[in-house]
Amino acid sequence: MTRWAMAVDLNRCVGCQTCTAACKHVNATAPGVQWRKVLDFEVGEFPDVRRAFVPVGCMHCDDPPCLDVCPSTATKKRDDGIVSIDYGICIGCSYCAVACPYQARWKVDVPNAAFKSAQMRHEIVNEREERRSVAQKCTFCTNRIDRGLKNGLTPGVDPEATPACVNSCIADALHFGDIEDPQSNVSKQLSEHKYYQMHEEVGTGPGLFYLWNFGSAKETSTEPALMVADPVGASAVSPKLQTSWDWRAAANFIFGGAGAGLFAAATIAGYQTGYSWLAALIAMALVGAGLFCVWLEIGRPWRFLNVYLHAKRSWMTREAFAAVPFFGLGILAAYTSSPVIWFAAAGLGLVFLYCQGRILQAAKGIPAWRQDEIVPLIVATGLTEGLGLFAIIAMVAGLGESALNMVILALLVMVLIRYFAWYRYRKSLGQVGAPTKTFEELDRGILNLSLKTQLLVLVVVAAGLAIPAMLVPGGLLALLSGWVFKFTLITRAAFDQGYAVERMPARGAGDSGPGIKPGWTLS
Amino acid sequence: MKLSDKSSKTEVSSYCYQCVAGPDLIKIDIKDGVATGIRPNFSASEIHPAGGKVCVKAFGLVQKTYNPNRVLTPMKRTNPKKGRDQDPCFEPISWDEALETIAEKLNKARDDGLSDSSGFPRVAASFGGGGTPTSYMGTFPAFLSAWGSVDMSFGSGQGVKCYHSEHLYGELWHRAFIVTPDTPLSELVLSFGTNTEASSGVCGVKRHADARGRGAKRIQIEPHLSVTGACSAQWIPIKPKTDAVFLFAMIHILLHEEKRTRLDIAYLRDHTSSPYLLAPNGFYLREEKSLKPLVWDMKTGKAVAYDTPGTEPALDGTFTASGIETGADEKSWSHENVKCQPAFTELVDHVQSYTPEWAAEICDVPASTIRDVATQYLDHAHIGETIEIEGMELPFRPVAISLGKTVNNGWGGYECCWGRTVMACLVGALEVPGGTLGTTVRLNRPAGNRWSSVTPGPDGFMYYPMNPTSKEEWISRSPSRHSHRTLVPLAANSPWSQALGPTHLAWMQQQKGFDHLPEPTQPDVWFVYRTNPAISFWDTGAIVDVMANFPFTVCFAYTHDETNHMADILLPECTDLEGLQLIRIGGTKYQEQFWDYQGFALRDPAIKARGEARDFTWISTELAKRTGLLKKYNAAINKGAGGVPLRGENYDFSLSEDTPHEVEEIWDTICRAASAEVTDGEQSQGLEYFREHGHRVKKFSRQRWYLYPEMIRQGLRFELPYQERLFRIGQELGARLHEQGITWWDRQLLEYEPMPKWHDLPGLWERALSTRFEIDIDDYPFWLITARSMQYAWGGNAGLQMIDEVAKNIAGHGGIIMNPQAAQKLGLSDGDVVEVSSPIGKTSGAVVLRNGIRPDTLLMIGQFDHWVTPFAKDLPSPSMNSLTPMMLELTDATGSGSDLVRVAVTPVGGRS
Repeated sequence: MTRWAMAVDLNRCVGCQTCTAACKHVNATAPGVQWRKVLDFEVGEFPDVRRAFVPVGCMHCDDPPCLDVCPSTATKKRDDGIVSIDYGICIGCSYCAVACPYQARWKVDVPNAAFKSAQMRHEIVNEREERRSVAQKCTFCTNRIDRGLKNGLTPGVDPEATPACVNSCIADALHFGDIEDPQSNVSKQLSEHKYYQMHEEVGTGPGLFYLWNFGSAKETSTEPALMVADPVGASAVSPKLQTSWDWRAAANFIFGGAGAGLFAAATIAGYQTGYSWLAALIAMALVGAGLFCVWLEIGRPWRFLNVYLHAKRSWMTREAFAAVPFFGLGILAAYTSSPVIWFAAAGLGLVFLYCQGRILQAAKGIPAWRQDEIVPLIVATGLTEGLGLFAIIAMVAGLGESALNMVILALLVMVLIRYFAWYRYRKSLGQVGAPTKTFEELDRGILNLSLKTQLLVLVVVAAGLAIPAMLVPGGLLALLSGWVFKFTLITRAAFDQGYAVERMPARGAGDSGPGIKPGWTLS
Repeated sequence: MKLSDKSSKTEVSSYCYQCVAGPDLIKIDIKDGVATGIRPNFSASEIHPAGGKVCVKAFGLVQKTYNPNRVLTPMKRTNPKKGRDQDPCFEPISWDEALETIAEKLNKARDDGLSDSSGFPRVAASFGGGGTPTSYMGTFPAFLSAWGSVDMSFGSGQGVKCYHSEHLYGELWHRAFIVTPDTPLSELVLSFGTNTEASSGVCGVKRHADARGRGAKRIQIEPHLSVTGACSAQWIPIKPKTDAVFLFAMIHILLHEEKRTRLDIAYLRDHTSSPYLLAPNGFYLREEKSLKPLVWDMKTGKAVAYDTPGTEPALDGTFTASGIETGADEKSWSHENVKCQPAFTELVDHVQSYTPEWAAEICDVPASTIRDVATQYLDHAHIGETIEIEGMELPFRPVAISLGKTVNNGWGGYECCWGRTVMACLVGALEVPGGTLGTTVRLNRPAGNRWSSVTPGPDGFMYYPMNPTSKEEWISRSPSRHSHRTLVPLAANSPWSQALGPTHLAWMQQQKGFDHLPEPTQPDVWFVYRTNPAISFWDTGAIVDVMANFPFTVCFAYTHDETNHMADILLPECTDLEGLQLIRIGGTKYQEQFWDYQGFALRDPAIKARGEARDFTWISTELAKRTGLLKKYNAAINKGAGGVPLRGENYDFSLSEDTPHEVEEIWDTICRAASAEVTDGEQSQGLEYFREHGHRVKKFSRQRWYLYPEMIRQGLRFELPYQERLFRIGQELGARLHEQGITWWDRQLLEYEPMPKWHDLPGLWERALSTRFEIDIDDYPFWLITARSMQYAWGGNAGLQMIDEVAKNIAGHGGIIMNPQAAQKLGLSDGDVVEVSSPIGKTSGAVVLRNGIRPDTLLMIGQFDHWVTPFAKDLPSPSMNSLTPMMLELTDATGSGSDLVRVAVTPVGGRS
């Protein structure tokens, strides 16, 4: 087997950006898009300061999270380890972008025009229309590798078969080759140096190996990269708020979760008191509105059916698969009182809700999302929101007192469960660490899932036992605190992984030094 | 092949010579007649020192070509008023009208006489980029040669932003216009602010990366942690402008704290002036008849001429001897049995008080660190070892010291250059494998290779073409507005000398003439190419006012910019990918180009020129025709003004002198001569050959990387450590100036010390600014410095989006780098917008907090402050150029100044 990989000699890299420019040339990437770029890291305090330059890009991971999440199978991993994108079927949902812990994926909606007045001649000639509004990233210059191999050339040795960035590197800091071949450039470099892989803890098995000192065999630092919550001069390498998913994606989680929760609540309550077609329709409208919003966000909306191509791996596909029968059975349920249909529809709604939790968990590029504890939290808050909404509907619809009290008690339990899920999530996130600003955003404000707020929710909901009208503000509080949390989670706390240096490299006869994980903290 | 036949081509060979660290060789990808990409030229990987690779700037050439902001037709100014606030109202005109207008002005100037009433040339020209524009201006040098006297003194950075002191002293001491480590063999390099990884091009980067790859050590000593510091084993943050004390202290350690046996005594004794005896007045004690300097022969116990065979000259000691001492203006003293010391002993005494503890107080580096560095230097010197270079056994001394800009120019430049070169001599590491080397010559001739420039001079040293200082020969009216031949003996008189004069004096005299020098006059015609002094010089506001007063300015214009805002005519010339030219490659060249080959490379047009842009050779021929200089112009080309003499020993491809020649015909002929030169007359292929192969070279011996073998062959010594010649010249120059009533250059005369003493350089700046501007210097608490950016340096590419985009990946581009401790005191955070002001101006930008800078220092990378150049004018990048005053007080004896000024920081609100 072959696995193409890159060894990056941090002792040699000078940060000149020649590889960045060469990549932009060969791949005609858009202004601002850098499939390959070199980061500038500084560690320490004056006068004990080190600085290093770290080339990054798609890591062509052994276990690429972008591959798992892709709903359309546009992202593939070839037998030789190269992770590729089929621009022809990509729907441009950007799920891969938030799944990538290396911020290596881009989406551009407009033709290249470095000078905004008009496209230059070379930009017109180089125009790659197929790349508009879909995911794009480093290809390891696949076409050069494939063409070279066909012509009997060796990638990493013969320039015609080697990625442009490697060819262009003026410090010979980039080495390319087959990591499975012990005689390859890369294998030799790895045998002669100490090296690390970036964000190894995420478990992606990245294909870029950073050489940080002379010596042999893999050796990470004895002092792990230091989390520095508020590093000086590191804004370019610190975690940034993801911009791939905005309020439209958040709306899917907000409305979809509440809709699925509402249907479940209506199903259980209806089994006792009679089914409410209105509740069913509202639930489906919410789920539908969420999906419509997310449809608005995808780059190639009319390819949306491609979302059904990847049921084996992508939770987004599975969510879509759950949505269709949910609507079908849901509509049927609204016209019947068959518990079987109601429960079947509610079950699909719960599957839909569970998928939403898994969608976030699979997004390995966003530390706030990828926690295992996010799944129960998303399910719990969806159910709580749905129940809160159902309580309001029930109140307005004039449900009997005892039934209403059951709803109140159920809601109190769900609020407690949701708080417990939040507590687990927040504690766990604090223990493994996350971008400093993620914590700041999660803990900001009043209408959130914090203990204080949720106690207030409990009090107001419980007041409904004495004053039934209090169920309206109680339900609303339960609903809105969940929605605000999810809106925050998706759009404001979703800082990406950022970059890190496991070990600052030795330069020539100098010593190596501790690395840095800028903009991260435990909390 | 005609250009029009090239539409089917998918690639052509060319070169990138945008910066002085080139040329490097490239391939250009072409698709449907459009240049789409730049690549390394791997067909040259065997001959090019960096394997045929090019740096990031070359990748900007495609965008540079198709930039929508290019000037693509000749234009004339229709608003006669000039100034920053004036719209030039350029209107497109035909080439014929443009050339006729220029020719009319030139012909009038010629009719009036080549020089004006002040003796200054009526035609001036300014070219940027350290001479690199020559590689893009086709046969324009032939036109200038045909024209005659041209004033090149209006600099665009020369003197204030170059390695000025290094250029002059380097050439004097070891034919080193640029000084560099012999990186491939080095073990330890001490780099005082040399920004190798930003300034030394592809070859420099590759050589140093290779050195790191084999475990060599570089220690970076500079106020901020530059990209070069980042790539070094150790960073020592030194206070700005105090590098000399670090160097002096290291010399002290070697001479006073280490055993003599650790030095290369044989090298000092046999290859330097160390044993020369000094007479009471500070000049050499000389043999009565021959006037040769005397040395003390320990074998015979008497003073003998330095070149007496079979002697063993003393380095240490005090001796009694007799002889003649010759001072300035042939003043002579006869000494009988006077006490005298060898120059080496004088050096030992000279540095006695320069202890590491003394230095530590001044440069803010612990004495223990200075000692550690000096000791490492000795440890790695390998005294006594040799190495074989292509069959020749040479000393092996793998230690070197390099100096960066602001260290090796302006006040202190002499001290640092001297200190560095003396350090090399003490361990025998000057011009030997592994040591400190020169790259090329510019002031000495011939410029083709350093060995040929070595000829015997006085006292066993190399000849140096000083501007004369004797009563009879001193040139009181220099044919340049900066008076380089009058004021700076070391500037010499080569075609490059004008660029090595005190170029800011040319601008300053336009503001106010200097007493007892010719009245300032403006050039009748000023040509400008590949330079933008309106933003790249100092006190840019004043510079703009000066150029606004020039009566007729012709700019070869790429886009509209701040300098051609003052132009009368704009000419669009074929840019890098459009023009045709052959240049020399190989040999040894700055910054760190050390080749095993030498020959020629072709810049083959990749595409048809855009718009009305014309090849520079066509423009030059047209100007020659229209000014009646065609014959002289063709003769200049025949003589070699196109880069290659067309007549050699075995060949003659001379062009007929009476008729104009087509661009391709000229370059085809030059290519033929180049082929003949490379093959010793055996081959004579022309343009077609170069189009197919891109380049043609022959072997260049690696022995020629080192001057030592040629010095040995000619029995010459390096003129170190004692500067008797400069000491004498300084006195003579002072006498000449005073005879003419000039006293405003007196401070500069103090630099002519035989061995430099430490002068309080930071204090010099502080006092000069305080006095001139009547300020309290404490109100300007920060030292502001600058640093090169590989992405921008020399490229004239501030208007390219791609360059801006990739440069931003490196911290500090577009902002003001500041230490967080200093920022905290001012209540500033990362990204806060501040105003930085000096006594003469202000600039603003966002604070970029970095721990890699001293708290008393600010850094602005690159040169910006554009207000016309499209795209660049919208960048929020600050620039120190508008803050740095042009001041005589801050001008050293070589005529250079340092990029250094004291500034204040004021928050203005807002964040970037």
